[in-house]
Amino acid sequence: MNRIWLITRLAALLAVAVPGLAHAEMQSLSESELSRVNGAGIGLVLEDFKFAHGTDVENGQIFRIGGIKNSQGEDVEIVVNKLYIAGAGSNYGETLTPVNLGRLVNPYSIDVVDGNDIGVPDKAVLQFAAPHKVDTTQGYDCLSSSAAAGSGTCASRPASADLPQGERPDIGLQLNLTVGSQDTANINVHAQSAVIDGSYIRLWGDNERKQMVGQFKLNFYTPELSINACDQTTAVCGSRIIMQNFALELALGNSLQPMYFDVDGTGNFVLEVAAIQKPGAGTIGADGLRDSSDAATWDFYNDYYTNPDYRSNLAIGNLSVGDRDFGSGRIEGMLIQHLKIQTKDLAQ
Amino acid sequence: MSKYPFNRLGYMAGLILLAAQVSPAQAELNLLNDQALSGISGQGGIYLSGDISINEDGGPIQNTYFGSCSDTTKRCGARLAYQLKEGGGWMVLDDIRGKFSFEGLTLRVRKIDSGFGGDGALFNRDVLEIGLPNFVRYDSVTFKLATSSTARPTDPGFQQTDIFSVEMQGDVVLEGNLLVFPTGNP
Repeated sequence: MNRIWLITRLAALLAVAVPGLAHAEMQSLSESELSRVNGAGIGLVLEDFKFAHGTDVENGQIFRIGGIKNSQGEDVEIVVNKLYIAGAGSNYGETLTPVNLGRLVNPYSIDVVDGNDIGVPDKAVLQFAAPHKVDTTQGYDCLSSSAAAGSGTCASRPASADLPQGERPDIGLQLNLTVGSQDTANINVHAQSAVIDGSYIRLWGDNERKQMVGQFKLNFYTPELSINACDQTTAVCGSRIIMQNFALELALGNSLQPMYFDVDGTGNFVLEVAAIQKPGAGTIGADGLRDSSDAATWDFYNDYYTNPDYRSNLAIGNLSVGDRDFGSGRIEGMLIQHLKIQTKDLAQ
Repeated sequence: MSKYPFNRLGYMAGLILLAAQVSPAQAELNLLNDQALSGISGQGGIYLSGDISINEDGGPIQNTYFGSCSDTTKRCGARLAYQLKEGGGWMVLDDIRGKFSFEGLTLRVRKIDSGFGGDGALFNRDVLEIGLPNFVRYDSVTFKLATSSTARPTDPGFQQTDIFSVEMQGDVVLEGNLLVFPTGNP
């Protein structure tokens, strides 16, 4: 009895001391409300962001990539003279200004998504994604650095009076290669007002192969991608190779043919996109039409051949070298049916 | 089992709680209604400076007994190995060493309801703001990307292929704020 008395007494004391704070806040959720709750991911936005690093030996700055050998066994060293991510209008990295990356209403995200929604049945899929693409009525043209709302499918906005920093960065890289004792010229690569909306990396595990698998989509749009080479000592530069209105949509792996990652027994990295299985004998009719085929099999292959998400595209509006124009080029609807890349150690 | 000690102890505890809580607690704690609570946001924040060293030079003692980084049979640097397939080889970030120093990394909660070219008003929520430190000083930061047949270099049959190594030194410009917030419909 005493014990019960003490407990009730303590409970009463606590109730007096902490008056009903929790009561006002907590409410139970009904089943139908609970069914609408999704696991939330993490959104990331970089505000007024600027990144720059490089090599300036006199001021103690070094950024070097080494450990690579060429086929003759000579050491290859890559010295990164400059790497920057900054606001558009940087004049090839001369004036670095801040930029916003991602939008509050459409950020970069890290999320675990339900595989059933993306064609990977009964799996939880880890996804790193750039801002997703939007409807043409709300989006901005992916290439134009003065695009207005309703002109395209990209969510990231170019710099404007309302948003002076913009959401499309200038990205640049200047590096030189040293092979053995021989220096090469500086190589500069600059992308202006770049957009990677709609890109993602998805990773999950395969039960049968007991292996990490993934899907990689890279969209990269820039009104100008330029490459040139400059002499290291005199800083005299050669002609600039300019690719105007450069649009790359690269799809490596898809939900039917994911990309497999592996390191084999001898320690070499293997990247593989497995070939899709052939249809069973007699499941596709001789005339190739749905009526004469097994409907489910026909639908499967029809999706495989027609789904634009599985295909890679590359378009260049105009290629010019110095003052010469070479016109436009386009590779469209490239479907990777099988890919196997394996690193090989030349020292072995 | 004796009840007596428990009761006595319990009674004393009750008295102490009573003495400690009754009057001051009543004066301090007030009920906040939902409206008042919704108006409260995190204030202030945290300002961080410091440096992180990862096996920069092998620690405080370097000799033949404890080992030194120049001794090839001992190892300096952290190693992170990840197996991509059951029974397969390992992807390795190896020999992670160096010192990162920074001044003025800030952490705070910020309410965003304006700016961002009109997105702020639509967003109208709190975010965790990580203020980047403008400069991060890298001191002999190195790491290697490699593939390996075993997780540890001491495992039997160890064989490793270094794909490339990276060396960084000096001031890296890192300006801006990283805003972190939940997405979806929590």
